[in-house]
Amino acid sequence: MTEERVVSTGDGVVATDMVLNIGPQHPATHGVLRLRLVLDGERIVSAEPVIGYMHRGAEKLFEVRDYRQIIMLANRHDWLSAFSNELGVVLAVERMLGMEVPERAVWARTLLAELNRLLNHLMFLGSYPLEVGAITPVFYAFREREAIQEVMEEISGGRMHFMFNRVGGLKEDLPNGWTNRVRTAMAGVRDRLPQLENLVFGNEIFAARTQGVGVLSKEQVLQYGLSGPIARASGIDMDLRRDEPYLAYGELQDVLRVVTRTEGDCYARFEVLREQVHVSMDLVDACLERLEQLPQGPINQRLPKVLKAPEGYTYAWTENPLGLNGYFLVSHGEKTPHRLKLRSASFNNVQVLGEMLPGQLVADMVSILGSMFFVVGDVDK
Amino acid sequence: MTGRDGKKGVGLLKGLSITLTSMTRRSITEQYPDVQPELPPRSRGVIALLEENCTSCMLCARECPDWCIYIDSHKEVIPAPEEGGRERTRNVLDRFAIDFSLCMYCGICIEACPFDALFWSPEFEYAEFDIRNMTHEKERLGQWMQTVPPPPALDPSAAESKEVLGVRKKAAAKAPPTEQGDES
Repeated sequence: MTEERVVSTGDGVVATDMVLNIGPQHPATHGVLRLRLVLDGERIVSAEPVIGYMHRGAEKLFEVRDYRQIIMLANRHDWLSAFSNELGVVLAVERMLGMEVPERAVWARTLLAELNRLLNHLMFLGSYPLEVGAITPVFYAFREREAIQEVMEEISGGRMHFMFNRVGGLKEDLPNGWTNRVRTAMAGVRDRLPQLENLVFGNEIFAARTQGVGVLSKEQVLQYGLSGPIARASGIDMDLRRDEPYLAYGELQDVLRVVTRTEGDCYARFEVLREQVHVSMDLVDACLERLEQLPQGPINQRLPKVLKAPEGYTYAWTENPLGLNGYFLVSHGEKTPHRLKLRSASFNNVQVLGEMLPGQLVADMVSILGSMFFVVGDVDK
Repeated sequence: MTGRDGKKGVGLLKGLSITLTSMTRRSITEQYPDVQPELPPRSRGVIALLEENCTSCMLCARECPDWCIYIDSHKEVIPAPEEGGRERTRNVLDRFAIDFSLCMYCGICIEACPFDALFWSPEFEYAEFDIRNMTHEKERLGQWMQTVPPPPALDPSAAESKEVLGVRKKAAAKAPPTEQGDES
């Protein structure tokens, strides 16, 4: 690596360490995460993520909402993976009810979940270079996002909070010709994505700011329970879509590749994201093909007027774009859950910052923070 | 293509070449206030009310996750149409308002309505300077009805709606007796 230049304040005149607050209103934290750093010159001595500035009490709110209303709330904790969040809730309730979901709904859900993953990853593919100083890539990323967002809006009516899952299937059937438009959008994204990739990957400045920076060891990943692209960049070969297939992933094993890296630095984490975009696009194409072959049939179940999950408990976890997202549902047979515990990916992923940041320079803090790919709403819930 | 062992300067040149080629292409910017966006019919912009269909049953207001629908109604007695007939009562809607500063645009009210009185409209330009004006009363909600688009046609492999199925069943139930009648 290049040599590091450290600027310190005076010759030991100032004996006390400096405490620097990053956030809660700081552009690099994209949200309201606060980091309390203790600095020695430019080097970070200790770091503590202070969370909770956006706590909305989602879990408590779940307890006073019926299952359809919970979908609306679940949409919002991680606003970049709204569809995947909904999915966890409905999977949990369906398992409790022992409900069989129509085949078309299963494939359509898989398709939409992958489109959602693309939206999420493209967001970070654009915003991370922005944080380390490259302004252009975000425009390329958002152009691709727009193409996907258009088809998502056409089917669900929403651009962020899709609100398209229902217990037993999807809200409405696909509009006529929608699958073709998804295919066109995918072809377009595939065609234009190399522009974004060539802009960032291989760029010397970007590489200098990310390679070898913020290395996360396999042990740390396991200790802190990290998941998703961050864990896979440190060599943890785990993906629920492969290891515990839900939806239609069981039949997509030949298309699904689990992307891993061993370096564990910021660059590796970013690379995993890039690769996963390609995997998701392949999955979308496979789902489309399958969806068009399926015979005519319903896309949802008819539900009783008052939907009550039977007494008991279950844990449904899904591979969300940012990591493992789990819902622990305890029902006392009422129309609202007794308890719905939410395990969100970003909450765990952010905790490791306290161990990663000490010893790093303040300038590297931004590239490390950005490469942890979190959504503050998902941290604070 | 990991980019970890590239030649110095190659990546920068590659990036600049992309910028150059993009410069010659047409921009994809949409001139929004001058050119209106084309929104799909399912777009969730604003909620429209068809007052004639509303029976003030309060289902939407009760199902709303953040209770942003306000309904006031009273009962009116309709006198018997003829001597000895029975008097009837019906609900009259006094107030139907949605506070769009609270609304989370989930669409549960529209799904819950059993009488098809609520609809989504893709219209979105109703920002206000005063938050109190975000509460749309029934007159304003009724005006949105003009902007409600017809629902999109469904995928060919979609199951037929229960309305269509019901009509089919009725037609099928009627058809056999006439055929038998012809034979005998």
